[in-house]
Amino acid sequence: MKKSNKKWLQKISSGPASPKCMGRRTFMKLSGAALGSGALIGLLPLSCMRQATVEEKTNFPRPELQSEYRRTICTHCSVGCGIIAELQNGVWVGQEPDYESPFNLGGHCAKGAAARSHGFGHRRLKYPMKLVNGAWTRLSWDEAINEIGDRLLKIRQESGPDALFFCGSSKASNEGAYLQGKFAALWGTNNVDNQARICHSTTVDGVANTWGYGAMTNSYNDMRNSKAMLFLGSNAAEAHPVAMLQILRAKEAGSRMIVVDPRFTRTAAHADIYARIRSGTDIPFIYGLLWHVFKNGWEDKDYIAKRVYAMDQIRKEVEKWPPEEVENVTGIPKDKVYLIAKTMAMNRPSTIVWCMGVTQHHIASHTVRLFCIFQLALGNIGISGGGANIFRGHDNVQGATDVGPNCHTLSCYYGLAEGSWKHWAAVWGVDYEWIKSRFDMSRQYDAGGGKMAYTMNIPGIPVSRWVDGVLEDKKNMSQKDNIRAVFFQGHACNSQTRGVEMKKALEKLDLLVISDPHPTHMAVMSDRKNDTYLLPTATQYETSGTATASNRALQWRDKVIEPVYESLPDHTILYKLAKKLGFEKEMFKNIKVTNDEPLIEDVLREINRGAWTIGYTGQSPERLKLHAQHRGTFNPLTLKAEGGPCKGDYYGLPWPCWGKPEMKHPGTPILYDPSKPVAEGGLVFRAAWGTDYNGVSLLAADGVYSKGSAIKTGYPEFTSDILKTLGWWDELTPEEKNAAEGKNWKTDLSGGIQRVVIKHGCAPFGNGRARCHVWTYPDPIPVHREPLYTPRFDLVKKYPTYPDRKAYWRLPTRYQSIQSVNHSAKYPLIFTSGRLVEYEGGGEEERSDPWLAKLRPEMFAEVNPKDAADAGIFNGQYIWLEGAEGGRIKVRALVTKRVGPGTVFTPFHFGGWFQGKDLYDKYPEGTAPYVRGEACNTATTYGYDSVTQMQETKATLCRISPA
Amino acid sequence: MKRILFILTAFAVLAGLVGCSSESRNVTMHKPGVYKGVKDPLLALKNQQELIDRLKLVQTDR
Amino acid sequence: MARMKFLCDAERCIDCNACVTACNNEHDVPWGINRRHVVTMGDGESGEKSISVACMHCTDAPCAAVCPVDCFYFTPDGIVLHDKDLCIGCGYCFYACPFGAPQFPEENSFAARGKMDKCTFCAGGPLPDRSVEEYKLYGRNRIAEGKLPLCAEMCATKALLGGDGDVVSDIYIQRVVKRGGRPDTWGWATAYNFKSEKEKNP
Repeated sequence: MKKSNKKWLQKISSGPASPKCMGRRTFMKLSGAALGSGALIGLLPLSCMRQATVEEKTNFPRPELQSEYRRTICTHCSVGCGIIAELQNGVWVGQEPDYESPFNLGGHCAKGAAARSHGFGHRRLKYPMKLVNGAWTRLSWDEAINEIGDRLLKIRQESGPDALFFCGSSKASNEGAYLQGKFAALWGTNNVDNQARICHSTTVDGVANTWGYGAMTNSYNDMRNSKAMLFLGSNAAEAHPVAMLQILRAKEAGSRMIVVDPRFTRTAAHADIYARIRSGTDIPFIYGLLWHVFKNGWEDKDYIAKRVYAMDQIRKEVEKWPPEEVENVTGIPKDKVYLIAKTMAMNRPSTIVWCMGVTQHHIASHTVRLFCIFQLALGNIGISGGGANIFRGHDNVQGATDVGPNCHTLSCYYGLAEGSWKHWAAVWGVDYEWIKSRFDMSRQYDAGGGKMAYTMNIPGIPVSRWVDGVLEDKKNMSQKDNIRAVFFQGHACNSQTRGVEMKKALEKLDLLVISDPHPTHMAVMSDRKNDTYLLPTATQYETSGTATASNRALQWRDKVIEPVYESLPDHTILYKLAKKLGFEKEMFKNIKVTNDEPLIEDVLREINRGAWTIGYTGQSPERLKLHAQHRGTFNPLTLKAEGGPCKGDYYGLPWPCWGKPEMKHPGTPILYDPSKPVAEGGLVFRAAWGTDYNGVSLLAADGVYSKGSAIKTGYPEFTSDILKTLGWWDELTPEEKNAAEGKNWKTDLSGGIQRVVIKHGCAPFGNGRARCHVWTYPDPIPVHREPLYTPRFDLVKKYPTYPDRKAYWRLPTRYQSIQSVNHSAKYPLIFTSGRLVEYEGGGEEERSDPWLAKLRPEMFAEVNPKDAADAGIFNGQYIWLEGAEGGRIKVRALVTKRVGPGTVFTPFHFGGWFQGKDLYDKYPEGTAPYVRGEACNTATTYGYDSVTQMQETKATLCRISPA
Repeated sequence: MKRILFILTAFAVLAGLVGCSSESRNVTMHKPGVYKGVKDPLLALKNQQELIDRLKLVQTDR
Repeated sequence: MARMKFLCDAERCIDCNACVTACNNEHDVPWGINRRHVVTMGDGESGEKSISVACMHCTDAPCAAVCPVDCFYFTPDGIVLHDKDLCIGCGYCFYACPFGAPQFPEENSFAARGKMDKCTFCAGGPLPDRSVEEYKLYGRNRIAEGKLPLCAEMCATKALLGGDGDVVSDIYIQRVVKRGGRPDTWGWATAYNFKSEKEKNP
């Protein structure tokens, strides 16, 4: 009796539970599994809650299954972090750090760390849908493509091919983006564009016009060699978090970090020197720096004399910007400007970084040129640790800019002249005359400044202006009719300005098609009732392809998972649509198509065959896959493979990767670096504007050439005739001679000219000078102009904007008429916007991801305590933020000193609300993002760059009041 | 007779009491600070060197 | 053999939330719980610093000391784990922990507290290693796979380090020495006890 007593008691004390509870627990385990989500468990009585409550977990690893690992590249920003996906039976069960990748060494930001959630298909569009009297109804792919195709053909018949605005994407792979551009070209319109327009379009044009190519000159990794770094309008800690790995390591090695921004950003928190600048006054700031540089003789006189054209004109302009004036306009104290100038000059090589804070202004094409000029003055271009390090935005915006859909040029910056069309016609294997017949050849239109041309040769309407393309009076437009149909593939709409007018434009359209993984703000922001289609599109994890990171390196992506639900990749949708519209044979002539899916490798090979201007020719699928496989052999500082199968190559074969893949050019890691032979990645400035201007030579001085060059002075770009003169022509093979006769380095499809030229150590595009004076620009020398909506109306007289234009990119564009009115009386606060680390771009993808959404559940506006007190607002309260054109948004106020007095900041990633109203009910069932909020661009205003039509988002005006 | 019965009862009671007292007084049901749960197989795993190598491979500033 | 430790280098932390998300990803943590969170001090002002915090896996763990059902145990290298089946959800460990590491799920009926959940150093729980049952309750067991916590392995700037304390220490010391050439950032004013501009470096 006693012994059994003891045993029974011990059982109670040391066993996990009594027999009675065991029964209940087992029951709970079973019922918990059956019930599924935590919401249902909430209905059970409290007494049953003894079991550890877990939501039903899915997509988890099972020990008995074999794991497979696939590598892809993050789909968010341009750092290009490698992602290792762990799969079991095709289900994405885990992520591992890609520590071998030289770009991120395994690191991610929140977005990259959340990649696996794409495998769950949270809130994804599941099947094609269309609006029927305001209700979303399902249809099949065939039905959708047929209906859309029929409508498009009808609109084309009535209004011409230019009535379609086809917006491509910088989220597409290079192959997808390339096909988007080709689709529009063969449809017969230049009204095609992508996010680059509203991202770095000003950079690309301005920088290219300064020294040849408009891309990041060095790389994120190379910044570790910089002794000083100046960040202007760049919030790298939130927009390019993994780039901070390189930046902070540079800082630890002694580099000085300077941040100039209207906000004290997370990047500024790590800076040695921080300066608060008024939005839109970047040009005076740089002139202020140059004032000190020239005054103290810190400029690199030798470099300027030998490699730069027209620096003297800059010196003249600098005299207009003494320190007092700089302080008056920018708001930065004099001694701080001096300190920054001294730091940059005394700690060379120094680098300069800029992003949207600088590019999204109506004079930004000129601003970026001045940044380049500043670096030229210090002799910082073409050296490791120096450079103009332009941090691009989306993961493949560099690629989309290079090879993808742009309204002002064909792929690879060839332009829209007849010669460019003929070049691509030859590459595509399509008859030029046939392509011409696809365009509206009925009459010519005003291409700007009274010059008349066919729409085939006029830049199309950019994505920043598509709203005007719909709403503008058609007799003011340089095309037959308004835009009547809009097809957005992979582009958000809440990143474009003037949301109130956008709503009107959306309601006016005959046809709206959104091809996206999620519905996007565009599907719900208007009151459309019909003729609206949603096509579920696969993300980049559901297809293979390449993406070009900001440092011009291409990376191969493996396909991780099959497209979820009924979604299809971009290129498959394009094939189906092209087939319906009748030109799939021309479009996919040299591209194998299986089950309606074009072969990605064939598309890349086609790009390789045609992309001679920027050297996308050497990056064949095989070479890129080899790089991906052996990425661990690349040195993370130099990005060069010292050994292994990729020995001698630079990771990703950064363009220009000259010549055919067989030539095995290693890529160009640092642009314009003459210390290496061209065959090993060296380069000089491009001679893109002729040999001289007004009697002054535009070619490099004697003694300036890339290492090992046969020509030891400046030389123009190479043509077949020049080769003949030099006696190099016979080094071409007979086939090459055949193809290259009468052509130049850009149009010779055999690559023979480039091959022979590089063999002699010369750069195919010539050896020229970087130019400070761009005679084709509205302002040949950059001058300051106040933003259209400026808080300093007193400065408008001294720094006015441009006169209004009649036909600029097919549309009338206003400048003076807006700035001449004093808006600051009614709207006294500067309204600027920017990024958060958890979200990206339009934000729909991340706000539909529970792991990211829970970090940022609400839209907000940062308000300085002074402005909050003036308006009677306290922290956390809902406020109305009214933009200068009347658009209003309802957001929570975050009272913080992060913004200076007089500035209000909002993130731009939110969507799903419109002027105070939550649009949850307008989303198709199960697709509304977890987090919705006001799109800040509902309240932004008119203003477009004078060269590229970039929108002026960073400097507009607003007022705030309690809601 | 009564006396014998009384003595026998007393003896039985005393024997019973003695029996009770020889029961172990140790009836504590709870040992504070001692883990009461299931034994984790991870405790037997000896992969420290593997983890050190992994740390050096992944988390250092390469 | 040293204890397993986390170290978050506040000079490098940029509040990118990769660690938070990596943990949520690896263990499919439900809404309402963040086993790891980034704390930012001085937000928006000069001197802003961020640091990533989760369970510190204390040697003399207060949570283990106060638990009424003794559901905590320690691995030989210092990882503090607990048995959710024993946990009664009293929340006393939450009181005791100076770092707020114990978390309780929000999606229960009547917002009842439910079982305590916390950072496990990616070492799972007492159930068999790498089993489905262990995953469902505790998340992934990376330690049993020979890997380290995913938060540390995925840190964008390698601010967060997690692993053998000696090696983590080595890595950090190297950084400190490298940074030593920049006394202006490292508070000579504090070290040499001159705080105002009037006092100069003697």
